[in-house]
Amino acid sequence: MEFLMIVIILVIVVAIAVWLFIARQGDAEFEFIVGQRTDFILENLTDKAATFSCKVPFINKGSQGGTIMDAYPRHLLPYEQFDGVDVSSRLELSTAPRTDNYFESVIITQGKGGTVVITVTFTAKKGGIQEALGQMAELTVDMAIDIVYQIVARSLWYIHKTRMIMTCDEIMRALQAKGTVESEES
Amino acid sequence: MSEIELKPVGTRILTAKDNIVDIIVKYAEQNIGPDDVVTVAESVVAITQGRITRPEDLKVSFLARILCRFIPQEGSLSSCYGMQSAMDAEGQLRILFALLLGMVAKLFGKNGVFYQLAGEQAPLVDDVTGTMPPFDKCLVYGPFDPNGVAAEIKRRLGCYGAAVADVNDLKRAAVLGVSAGLDPQKLAHILIDNPFGNASQRTPIVIIKNYAQAERRAEEQA
Repeated sequence: MEFLMIVIILVIVVAIAVWLFIARQGDAEFEFIVGQRTDFILENLTDKAATFSCKVPFINKGSQGGTIMDAYPRHLLPYEQFDGVDVSSRLELSTAPRTDNYFESVIITQGKGGTVVITVTFTAKKGGIQEALGQMAELTVDMAIDIVYQIVARSLWYIHKTRMIMTCDEIMRALQAKGTVESEES
Repeated sequence: MSEIELKPVGTRILTAKDNIVDIIVKYAEQNIGPDDVVTVAESVVAITQGRITRPEDLKVSFLARILCRFIPQEGSLSSCYGMQSAMDAEGQLRILFALLLGMVAKLFGKNGVFYQLAGEQAPLVDDVTGTMPPFDKCLVYGPFDPNGVAAEIKRRLGCYGAAVADVNDLKRAAVLGVSAGLDPQKLAHILIDNPFGNASQRTPIVIIKNYAQAERRAEEQA
């Protein structure tokens, strides 16, 4: 009986020690810092389509390295809100640009981070794109974009979303900055 | 008399639909002579054998979630998925006891005991990001029967020999399988500078030209 008690106590002590070790070790913890993103700028403009991009920093603020296994933008512009444009979006690492909308898994050590570039293309369903985006601004339609990312680290994988808003004012500012739209002041 | 020359051979991205020997015939046959040794990257052999899995497809045990915590985070088994892959390949108990004995050995200043005891697949598991797209999102096991693969390459190509190698940029080279008569240590030494390159999936084949001539010359001099 005494031997059994010693074994049980030993098991409990080892379990607590392992639990404390894991708790102290921690894990990776990623954050896409949308509050520090740059404004969208106009990358390309044709009669039918306008392409904008912005940069969003991210960091692994956890205590362990982790892998961003996948990341992509999910734009949300339902036709009930605005039906004048088709939207496509993609995301890439600023240090590993690619145009195929494929996110190559990347290991980020603790305390380190990087920047992703989010590119959004609006294509007019009818008429010109500047007219369509003008209508979008008139209706004060802002577009939500979720950055969706899958993390693998010490623990089980998970998918997380961080939301940012691409405002119609920002779109108009980007067009004006390129001199394609007359600003109200001019 | 010709010197040994390392000649990487590029291929398209290979998948489980490919046969590695057919691929070597297709992309490299014209460059392979009777004095040459053909080497091929182990992860690519494994991929062509379908020895890959996705983290999403693995059922991770409680034990894997605990044990992975005791692997330094640079190691492929430091994620619960890498650990589970090793357990699936070598058995839970074997990995558990290897880890426990490895810890004890470490207390006495002896490193590497875990990988010595954990079975041949444990050090060969590549965690996600270990290979290039589209397999960067997969775990890749070590190849099955690397000696058999090497023997088959030699038989089909008529070369001096063949080998399956695991080489990286950290000056680590291990030859996992060879055709009869080749010295794995010697080949590992030749491949130490990783002629497969970072993206070994793009140049998964390296021909060691004139290997037999160099070997004969060394024997004559000895």
